[in-house]
Amino acid sequence: MNKYELGIVDTRNIIKTLQDVYNYDFKNYALTFFKRRVEKVIINHNLKDADGFIQKIETNKDFFEIFLQEMCVEDTEMFRDPSLWRVLKEELFPKIIHGAVNFKIWFPEVSSGEELFSTAIILKKLNLLKNVQLIASSISELEIEKTKKGLFDPKKIEVNNPNFKRVFSESELSDFYTYENDTAYWDTSLIENTKFIKQNIIFDDYPKGVKLVLCRNQMIYYNQILQERFIKIIYNSLVPGGHLIIGNHEKIDYWNSDKDYTLISKVESIYKKKLS
Amino acid sequence: MYKAVVIGGSAGSFQVITKILSSLPKNFPLPVLLCLHRLKHVRSGFVEALSIKSTIPIVEPYDKETIKPGKGYLAPSNYHMYVELNKRIALSTEEPVNHSRPSIDLTFETAAQAYRDKLIGIILSGANRDGAYGLKKLKHAGGLAIVQDPNECQVKTMTEASLKLTTVDHIFTTEQIINFLLNLK
Repeated sequence: MNKYELGIVDTRNIIKTLQDVYNYDFKNYALTFFKRRVEKVIINHNLKDADGFIQKIETNKDFFEIFLQEMCVEDTEMFRDPSLWRVLKEELFPKIIHGAVNFKIWFPEVSSGEELFSTAIILKKLNLLKNVQLIASSISELEIEKTKKGLFDPKKIEVNNPNFKRVFSESELSDFYTYENDTAYWDTSLIENTKFIKQNIIFDDYPKGVKLVLCRNQMIYYNQILQERFIKIIYNSLVPGGHLIIGNHEKIDYWNSDKDYTLISKVESIYKKKLS
Repeated sequence: MYKAVVIGGSAGSFQVITKILSSLPKNFPLPVLLCLHRLKHVRSGFVEALSIKSTIPIVEPYDKETIKPGKGYLAPSNYHMYVELNKRIALSTEEPVNHSRPSIDLTFETAAQAYRDKLIGIILSGANRDGAYGLKKLKHAGGLAIVQDPNECQVKTMTEASLKLTTVDHIFTTEQIINFLLNLK
């Protein structure tokens, strides 16, 4: 629980500083979330208050990178919502990827990489990894470096493994990671062909010709303005007939998406972009 | 004069919640925000179980859903539930707080920032300390703090932790909580 509370004026000043010094526009992040993350950084780095934060971030590029990493919420666990991953494994992936070449799958904010590795593991098990091009972007260079190395928090093993069992009852997740001397890392051969992209907040540049976008529980950190922009970018990134998977309490139909997408599964929030 | 009610509970709170929700009038004038600890792998069933008893509709909200009076909003499993200043729900998968996601502290704290002195907060039976700090923030922001009478709670940890941290406005039995809510205009 954060014991330091950031005021609204301080929050606005911080947003302005990040915009002026680094050209990163956080004003359309969800306010409660943004405030909480900054408060956490102020406490963890003993910066005392908003002025302390501003002084440090203005002069210290490395600290800015650490801050960006804090703004990426770690994926909670591997195979979060196992029922979705069962649908991907048993129905969607075999149907849409089998026989494809260079099938592009985009993770707009890869953060700590659990969705990327979960996807890669399923594809590997289905012998479809060679058919795909995984593309992972993030606003944080540090997070990308960590994901490339396959590093993950060993504390997550106790939730990861039971989740995996709910998807693959006959195999062991430990086939795909190493855990020794308190360090845990994934088998990075799973992502050897993954393309990593450093992304800015407003997605000035994004991959085209994508056939599947996996972006669960990222939009929840945006306000409606940025959500709307983000949804448009995903739409432009996807080919007609391409699929989009979002978190099960996220919505795209505020934006009149009925005409853009067909809802394939309400329970798992799977959408398909219409052909025209 | 109040604009919202926020209720937190854990072990031993389910029956209390259903009793409260079944006693409210259909045209209850305020939104009811519910943050209850629950099993994360059981995604469905809970909201249905509450809805059967409740006189007002109960939903697990979508992110950025507008909060409306006369409706109950249950924090979805494995998400934190915040209230944005523009009175919309915001969900989050940030790390658990007090080993809990949803965390009662976070729902109370953000609701207090959004509703200030127009908020009623109620802490019910529960087996950990989550909620105690949130109720303190609520009281500090001018809201009205109510705690279920620990003598009536199946598990007292949460209510006792709350009472230790905050001088509350009322210590109420379930019946008294219901009467209080029925008399709101």
